Amino acid sequence: MLLSMDRELLHIIGVTLRMSFFSTLISCTLGITLGVLIGQKSFKGKRTVNKITGTLMGLPPVVAGLIVYMLFTRYGVFGELKLLFTVEVMVIAQCLLITPVVINLTQSVISSNAAIIRETAVGLNFTAAKRLRLLLNENRQALLSVVLNAFGRSIAEVGAVSLVGGNIQWKTRVMTTAIMLETNKGNFSFALALGIILLVISLIVNIIANLLVKEEKR
Amino acid sequence: MIEIYDITKKYGNRTVLDISSLSFSKGETVVIAGPNGSGKSTLLKILAGTLKADSGKLTVGGKVLYLPQQSLPFGMTVRKNILFSIESRTDKEVRCDEILRKLNLKAFEGKNAKTLSGGECQRLALARLLVNDCDFLILDEPSSAADIEGNELIEGAVKEYKEKNGCGVIMTTHSPRQALDLADRIIMLCDGRVAENGSFREILQNPQTEWTKKFISQWSIDFNR
Repeated sequence: MLLSMDRELLHIIGVTLRMSFFSTLISCTLGITLGVLIGQKSFKGKRTVNKITGTLMGLPPVVAGLIVYMLFTRYGVFGELKLLFTVEVMVIAQCLLITPVVINLTQSVISSNAAIIRETAVGLNFTAAKRLRLLLNENRQALLSVVLNAFGRSIAEVGAVSLVGGNIQWKTRVMTTAIMLETNKGNFSFALALGIILLVISLIVNIIANLLVKEEKR
Repeated sequence: MIEIYDITKKYGNRTVLDISSLSFSKGETVVIAGPNGSGKSTLLKILAGTLKADSGKLTVGGKVLYLPQQSLPFGMTVRKNILFSIESRTDKEVRCDEILRKLNLKAFEGKNAKTLSGGECQRLALARLLVNDCDFLILDEPSSAADIEGNELIEGAVKEYKEKNGCGVIMTTHSPRQALDLADRIIMLCDGRVAENGSFREILQNPQTEWTKKFISQWSIDFNR
């Protein structure tokens, strides 16, 4: 089955990658930006913000799915957009789940060395843009872990995507929901094969990401 | 010229700095000494603009470069550390090579800066500063981790830079010898206040605190210097 790679399987892999890519991209763009801002600034209410993001890190996927479902159902606030049971709404549900994780992890990474980086950079008369470049560069390995964590959560998530996506064949079926379906049908070998593909995708993404953010050694 | 008036700084309830007035001129090397916790680093941070005073006035006339006590080696090669720190100009590579030779870092130029020893890191941190021009160089214990050779290299590079640029140098040190070697003027801080402010001769003649007496007792006096 793995070697023959039938059309449906390729479609499932395609939908999975598209959903994971966009939810990782959006949640990391939002989360890293906010995490960097929170991590390097001291302000009133910072602890409260951290508590909120920390609590949201534990948000159960089905609850996130339920919230998004209610917002996008026909009579929901965004019902007119008719996005329920599409890949787009699956991405939105995943962003709701993943963004707090990215914010919390990023701010924790940044706050660990933001002060010393700032002092060094100000001492060298760096511009604000150069200071930010330095801050991101100095934390690139840790931020890569944050991005991979976000991608890992996205590609492995099942509760929210099955609720808002509906696991529709040729439309919103992804690897995880397909594994669930095949397991329920007793088709264990196919489910296991899908699991292996999922792991291989994760491995390839990890290798590529690590190559992109290679530490200079010697 | 850098001038401060009625500067105070508190950490919690503890006043770490309370200075009525101080000024620093271009072309002058001022060494700030004092026991641990006397407010030396806090004063330098305020002068460099990385820390805000609770009250008072600070006037800075000119470009300042500042070396903090803990300067971060960037996670790139030693050469890239220096090139990254040079402000946009055409002779980047020449300046880089020159400072690498001057501070004996040429052998490490391809090494990741994070793998350097404490003394090498300090030389690199100074190198990143000295490849740029400035009016005031503020150095917080620039050779605290350096060995004898490293110390000589750092002092030599600072002296040469000052002569070439005509800038003012403000630095802290715990070394009486370094203070005597480099300073045109010495400021002794004690509990956040200025205890002494003058040339080494003036301080020798009329030391105000017990700590100053201990500090200057380590000077081998050469009045013909």
